[in-house]
Amino acid sequence: MTDGRDDASRDPADDGGRLRGVLERTARIARWEVSRSAGTVDRKTVLVVVAILLTVGVVGFAVADDGIGLEDDLYVIAVDEENPYYEVADESESFRPIPLDDLELSDGNEANADVALRENRIAHYGDHGEAAYAAFRDAIDAYNEQRMSEEDDQTAAYPVVVDLEYVDRDLEEVGGTDGQTDDAGGDDPADSSDDLGSGSDSGADDSSGDGDDSDDGATDGDGTAGDDSSADDGQLAVPDVGSGGSLEESSGPPGSISPPFPFQSLLLAFLFVVPMNFVIQAYGSTIMDERVKRRGELLLVSPASSSEIVAGKTLPYLCGLAAVVVAISLAVGGGWLSVLAAVPIAALFLATTFVGAMLARSYKELTFVTVTISVFLTAYTFIPAVFTDVTPIALISPLSLIVMDLQGESVGLAEYLFSTGPFYGSAAVCFLLGLGVYREEDMFAQKSLPAKAIDAVASRVGGYRSVPLLSALFIPLVFAAQLLVVAVLFAVPEAIALPAIFVLAAAVEELAKSVHVYAGFARSRLEATLGVAVVCGVLSGVGFFVGEKVTHLAQFVGLPELTVGVAAFGPALSNDPLGFLVVFFTPMVLHVVTAVIAAVGASRGPTAYAIGFLTATLVHAAYNLGVILLVA
Amino acid sequence: MAILEVDSLRKTYGGFTAVEGSTFAVERGEVFGVVGPNGAGKTTTLKMLAGLVEPTDGTAVVAGHTPGDPEMARRLGFLPEESPLYEEMTASGYLEFFADLYDVPRDVARDRIDRTLDRLELEHRDRRLGNVSKGMKRKVAIARALVNDPDVLIFDEPASGLDPLTTNYIIEFTRELSEEGKTVIFSAHNLFHVESVCDRIVIMNDGRIVARGAVDEIRDAHGGTEYHVFATVDAGGGVREPAVGADADATDSIRRFRHAVDDMAGVESVRETVEREGGRIVDIQTETPTLEEIFLEVAGGSDGSQATRRESIDGSAATADGEGGPTDGTQASSDDEDAAEAET
Repeated sequence: MTDGRDDASRDPADDGGRLRGVLERTARIARWEVSRSAGTVDRKTVLVVVAILLTVGVVGFAVADDGIGLEDDLYVIAVDEENPYYEVADESESFRPIPLDDLELSDGNEANADVALRENRIAHYGDHGEAAYAAFRDAIDAYNEQRMSEEDDQTAAYPVVVDLEYVDRDLEEVGGTDGQTDDAGGDDPADSSDDLGSGSDSGADDSSGDGDDSDDGATDGDGTAGDDSSADDGQLAVPDVGSGGSLEESSGPPGSISPPFPFQSLLLAFLFVVPMNFVIQAYGSTIMDERVKRRGELLLVSPASSSEIVAGKTLPYLCGLAAVVVAISLAVGGGWLSVLAAVPIAALFLATTFVGAMLARSYKELTFVTVTISVFLTAYTFIPAVFTDVTPIALISPLSLIVMDLQGESVGLAEYLFSTGPFYGSAAVCFLLGLGVYREEDMFAQKSLPAKAIDAVASRVGGYRSVPLLSALFIPLVFAAQLLVVAVLFAVPEAIALPAIFVLAAAVEELAKSVHVYAGFARSRLEATLGVAVVCGVLSGVGFFVGEKVTHLAQFVGLPELTVGVAAFGPALSNDPLGFLVVFFTPMVLHVVTAVIAAVGASRGPTAYAIGFLTATLVHAAYNLGVILLVA
Repeated sequence: MAILEVDSLRKTYGGFTAVEGSTFAVERGEVFGVVGPNGAGKTTTLKMLAGLVEPTDGTAVVAGHTPGDPEMARRLGFLPEESPLYEEMTASGYLEFFADLYDVPRDVARDRIDRTLDRLELEHRDRRLGNVSKGMKRKVAIARALVNDPDVLIFDEPASGLDPLTTNYIIEFTRELSEEGKTVIFSAHNLFHVESVCDRIVIMNDGRIVARGAVDEIRDAHGGTEYHVFATVDAGGGVREPAVGADADATDSIRRFRHAVDDMAGVESVRETVEREGGRIVDIQTETPTLEEIFLEVAGGSDGSQATRRESIDGSAATADGEGGPTDGTQASSDDEDAAEAET
């Protein structure tokens, strides 16, 4: 029988190598995951879901096309068809016109219409009359604007042209160096020229035919603040996020001019995140099923490795999300950039859910975990995207890339990497940590979340070599956390924001440098002696230093030019050799010292670790403050 | 030649030692029993052999491969104590999935699955597993363990919680597998099952192997066969106790006395004495200790030690051992079940 088995079974190693075997097993698990998941839903449910989706789609499309229609025929207006205002009432969705002869007045100020128009005189009746009157005034304005915009001779329609130029704030001046913040206003033509780059002929001047003054501070729309702010000091450019789609040509009265706010693009970009919140529920459940019902035991005993199992179980959800993202992108007019920006978000959603499902002890805890992930990641991606046209901080969210894509703006590779790198990196680290506890001894154990989190980290600690490696691997998480701190405290007054950022940024880094060392000691993967603690501290500090240099990618998008960016990531690299050495190498000394402090505490137990960690954080924060005062 | 060799296998969870220095070997085609009380380290040992739990120390070689090696996984069938099936799948679909995972070609897998399910008399193959009985689920789980046609099978409590009919069927099936040349590592609480199917056993207690060998060897080593010689001596219308010293067999309606001796020489000695006194031997019976009695003797005093062990077990160790469970209630229930089985 054994011989028969040997003949019949195929060996992937013989067929096409180990990699092929890995891919085959992963694909098999993925295929069966799809088939198994499909088995959980009966046909009736599928039909109901399809019907709901179709309904939502149709309604959504109708809303997108025509608006919600809440104000359709909201008011009744009595007006004759011969009246020139009849067309206004007829075209407005809010008004239902009736002939003036049908107007019936009753006691007091009541009537069967809210407003009535006789020639140029207008009267309003009843409780809604006043609101109807105001709405009719707005309808008249809108009607006039539409008529003017349809005019062939726009110069005649709009004899005055105003070019708007949105510029970045000069942060040094905002910071209080000289208190002058009005350069863009054009009070000083020379200054204005400096700040706005190649400030050239004003469109207004051209159109007015004046042509004798090119120093009024306005530009023709091509020059942006970013262009020249980089040229001024030799630093790399702040991304060109202040211009683009929001500055497209539009006509209207001055009252219709509003600051750049990519409302429509933002809403459409949000659509990319919505399905992720639902998919992680199903994904979390399938991972949890393997644990709670011990079903994963049988997969673990099979020839498939843990990573193949996890990859196979994750792939259908990742591919499904990718397909949804492509579909949304096609529907809303996005391009490949939108897809490429949305995929790392999906990957991080799945990765964090995977870790959460590996740590949760019950479906109740899993619900808490997935809701937390939904809220946190949705906020993390959406809120910065609101500021897409305002500040480079927005680029911490890949959703900003989608907004830019929808607005037709170009995105450079550095911007893409800056925006998505932490997402890719964090997703990889999360999967790595989750895989660490994807084994029998941890999967089915009933431990508290912190204890399992320590297990997950400790699973990756194996000897000295792993210590600096883990410190470096945590960099994406550190980067993401620090960016979040910056984003959250961006709008807070600097007097409060800066100290908070100093401490929080330092705490995040110290945690990344010490948590695995603590986990190693706590789970007896490292010998808890002073010597080992010092060695681990040194290695962790050096590893983190190397990884941290990656965060200088931030400079490619100009984040350190912001005060809060400096507080989080340190000052930009200087051209001065001494300054360069100070900024570049003193952090290594700092990281080593603080990592040793925390590691020594970690070797003595949880309380000592807490004390060591706090001490290291305070030393680190003090260093940050000192360096910025000295260098910046 | 041993198909499975275990040398000084050890597993610790923090300060708790679940398995301490287990060493044994299993021959090809043998049914090898692992018995012991709850928390003895049986399941941990089996899981280390299956590659599910990483040993702290020691080595295990299964079919020439170490646990965790994918090639070893292909040659091993593992049946855990519970039957964690994908209940939304059908029996056929479930088995095809695992056959696929074990690289079994589809046509071979279909044929093998059909034959195995026929042998196991499994009906309702296209019904979802969530809708079949516990016995059926167990049979599907056994079929899954066989889907890769393994050389070595590890059955951890294969008949746990099943009705007597299904239990007997599974015991018989295990014996058939052995006859076909499969090596089966068999763990059970019901010692009657172990005694009836296993060629050799190890008895574990507190993580250590405390007895090993064929059931008869262990029986000999722990009391062996006892001979009960029943004699009566005429005493003028009545009976009297022979001079050799014996217990009155009060349960018998005829007054007679029972002599317990360890061997035939002892029997002969009693016979000579009784005859010298004018009496006669009325019956000779042999009494062999059951495995259960040996087990109780070997694990004697284990109640106290187990209690101490359980106090020292943290959550992970208890769960990883597979015999603890999340609550004390589960543990107590398990113990009660064992006690009931022992009484049976």
